[in-house]
Amino acid sequence: MNDQEPTLEVAPLTWEEVARIHGRKIYNFAYRLCGNPDDAADLVQEVLMRVRRGLASYQPGSFDGWLWRITRNAFIDEVRRRQRRPTSPLPEAIDRWESPSSPGADEQYAASRLGEDIQAALLELPFEFREAVVMCDVIGLSYAEIAQVVSVPVGTVRSRIHRGRRILRDTLAQEEAG
Amino acid sequence: MIHLDELLSAFLDGEATPPEVVRIESHLTDCHRCRIRLTEINAARTALRSLPLIELPPRLLADAGVPVVSPKRRPMVWVGAAAAAIAASVITVATVNTPPPEPLNLADVSRQFGARTALDVGAAPLKMVLPSAEAIE
Repeated sequence: MNDQEPTLEVAPLTWEEVARIHGRKIYNFAYRLCGNPDDAADLVQEVLMRVRRGLASYQPGSFDGWLWRITRNAFIDEVRRRQRRPTSPLPEAIDRWESPSSPGADEQYAASRLGEDIQAALLELPFEFREAVVMCDVIGLSYAEIAQVVSVPVGTVRSRIHRGRRILRDTLAQEEAG
Repeated sequence: MIHLDELLSAFLDGEATPPEVVRIESHLTDCHRCRIRLTEINAARTALRSLPLIELPPRLLADAGVPVVSPKRRPMVWVGAAAAAIAASVITVATVNTPPPEPLNLADVSRQFGARTALDVGAAPLKMVLPSAEAIE
């Protein structure tokens, strides 16, 4: 094989593999955006259904870009569908932090409190900033990948990530002071 | 003085262009305000990245129709054990036959890696001396 030849990223063979490999990240993406474990679980189901339908016509290219575009579109559709349904952050859904008698329980509790504060601050961000920082800092996408998924210039991604972090920092500082 | 606020996140993420990195590093040397901003943005970035990856709810994948895969038995454990034994013997021979290393010459290391480090965008933030959180407050 010629080493100079560009390699194309190919999709996993089956939607089940997509589910096993990416399901957890899709769930975390949705959970961090909406703060609601039930809605996040619904979104994973919806995304997997779209992946199942879409894999047949998938063209080799950036699989991550394709998958996260599907995930984002599914999330936005779901938000529009449930606009009148209230959501509330439920960080206590993180089961492993619910055992107070385990060793290091104090540290784990402190970490869970901090996690709740960050999640609450995240939910106060305008959606464009929230999705930008979640894609960057939680999912680990590059600016170029985010730009591709959201269909905006890289400069816009740069600005949204920065402003999102700035507001989040101010919110956390206010909570700490108050 | 023109501040570089909008570039600071890109700088921390290794997403600034090389000319921007040069500009930011130079600016941070002179601008106390932007050094504080950089620390604040970095604190938010670290907080977000410290959020744990939450496990999928049990049965979510099964409910979505994904077949449960039982963990595969580890085949031929003895092959791994034999490979480890061979590797250990090779390391022993190599250790016996290798002369003790020369003392590390920091000047040589600097000459070899200094230029690359200066161009390494990802490494740039590590070179900055930032004020501590206490100093800012």
